[in-house]
Amino acid sequence: MNHILRAALSLMIVIGALAPAFAMGQGYRLGVDGLACPFCAYGVEKKLSEIDGVERVETSIKDGAVIVIMNDGAALDETAARQAVQDAGFTLRGFTKLPAGDTGK
Amino acid sequence: MVKIVAGITAAAAVFMLAGWLAFVPSQKEPAYRFVAAWGEKGSSPGQFNDPTGLAVANGELFVADARNGRIQVFDLDGNFRRAFGKTGKQPGELGRPMNLAVHDGELYVAEYFNDRVQIFALDGTPNRIIGETGSGPGQFNAPGGVAVTRDGNLAIADFYNHRVQFLRPDGSFILQLGTTGKTGVGPGRFNYPTDVAITRNGTVFVADGYADRIQAFTSDGRFSHKWGGPLAVNISGPFDGWFAVATSIAIGPKGNIFVADFYNDRIQKFAPDGTFLTAFGETGSKAGQFRHPVAVTVGENGDVFVADFLNNRIQKWRPAD
Repeated sequence: MNHILRAALSLMIVIGALAPAFAMGQGYRLGVDGLACPFCAYGVEKKLSEIDGVERVETSIKDGAVIVIMNDGAALDETAARQAVQDAGFTLRGFTKLPAGDTGK
Repeated sequence: MVKIVAGITAAAAVFMLAGWLAFVPSQKEPAYRFVAAWGEKGSSPGQFNDPTGLAVANGELFVADARNGRIQVFDLDGNFRRAFGKTGKQPGELGRPMNLAVHDGELYVAEYFNDRVQIFALDGTPNRIIGETGSGPGQFNAPGGVAVTRDGNLAIADFYNHRVQFLRPDGSFILQLGTTGKTGVGPGRFNYPTDVAITRNGTVFVADGYADRIQAFTSDGRFSHKWGGPLAVNISGPFDGWFAVATSIAIGPKGNIFVADFYNDRIQKFAPDGTFLTAFGETGSKAGQFRHPVAVTVGENGDVFVADFLNNRIQKWRPAD
C-alpha cells in the first residue's frame, strides 16, 4: 500500500513540475500594415512587449502579421494593444483572439 | 475645344519635363559591380536572422545579426571569423542591435530594444554602456544608429524620440538636433531618424529615415543642407536622388556618402554636397539584387558592403573599373 501511495505522490509531483512547461497563454493575431522595415516591426514588437502580461511577440515581416502570446491566465486588452501599435507609429487594422493552443503558426 | 485640350496637354508635358530636369539628377559616375554574397536565414555561424548593421575595421566586417542577438565577424571575403553576444539585457548581451560604428579600436552598437549604445572591444569584450530608456538628455527611445567624432563624442539617431543626440564619451549630454517626440520636415527636424555618419572634418550626416531624405549639419549642430526628392520635404519616389526610407548612411574613403535606400532596393552614392553620383542594385534574390538593403558600410579600398535584409545575406560591391 505504501508503494502505491509513494508512486501516486511521485506522479503528482512530476505532473505538477511539468504543467507550467505545457501551459500556453492566450494568443492574439493583430493586423498591422506596413511592417516590412525592421525599424517598424521591431518598434511594434517593443511597444507591445511593454504591456503587462505579454509573454512574447512575434512579427512576420513577410505577411504583416503580429502574434501576441500572453502569460498563462492573462488577456490582451484591445485598447492597450491599439495604443501600443499607435505608439509605434502604426494603426491597428485587426484584432483576433486565437483558439486555445493556437500560436498563430 | 481640340486646341484647348492640346494646349493643356502641351503645358502638362512642359511642366513634367521641367520637373524632371529640376528634380531628377543624371548619373555622374559608373555603377558599381557585384563581387560576392554570403549568408542565409538561420542561427549557425555565417547565417543571419535579420542582418541590420555593418561596420568595417582592421580588415574585418562586423555584422549586427538582430534577431540572433549577436555580432558576427567576417573577413572581407565573407569567411566567418567569430561571433559574440546573445539576446538579453546584461552587459555583453544585445537587444536588437542595429547600425554600427567603429572608432579607435572599439565597436559601437545601437541597441533598439535596450535603449542604449553598447561599446565592445573588437574581440567582443564588452567595455561599457551609454544611455538608458527615456526621452531626457542622454536617454533613448529605440536608437537606430551611432557615429563617433574624431575626439570620441557620439552622435546617436534616437528613432522614436525623433532627434539626434550628441554625447560625450562618458555619455553626458552635449546637444540635440530636432524636437523630442515631434516629427517635422523643416530643416533640422526629423521623422524617425535611423542612422548617423560623420566625416573627417566633422560634418554630420543624418539618414532622416521616414522623411526620405538626408540632412547635413556642422560639427556644432548647425543645419547645413539636405537632399532627397523635390526640396527634400518628405516626398518619396524611385527616381535617382530620391528615397523610399533611408535606413543607413556611410562615408566612403573619398568622403562620398552612401545611403541604403530600403524600399527602392538600391544603394545610392552622393557627393558631400548632395550631388547624386550613382546607384546600384535592383529588386530580387539573385546575385546583385536586393530585397530591402537595410545597412551599408564602405571599406578603406572603396568596396561597399550591404546588409540585404529579407534575403538574410551580405553583399560586397566594388567600383566599376
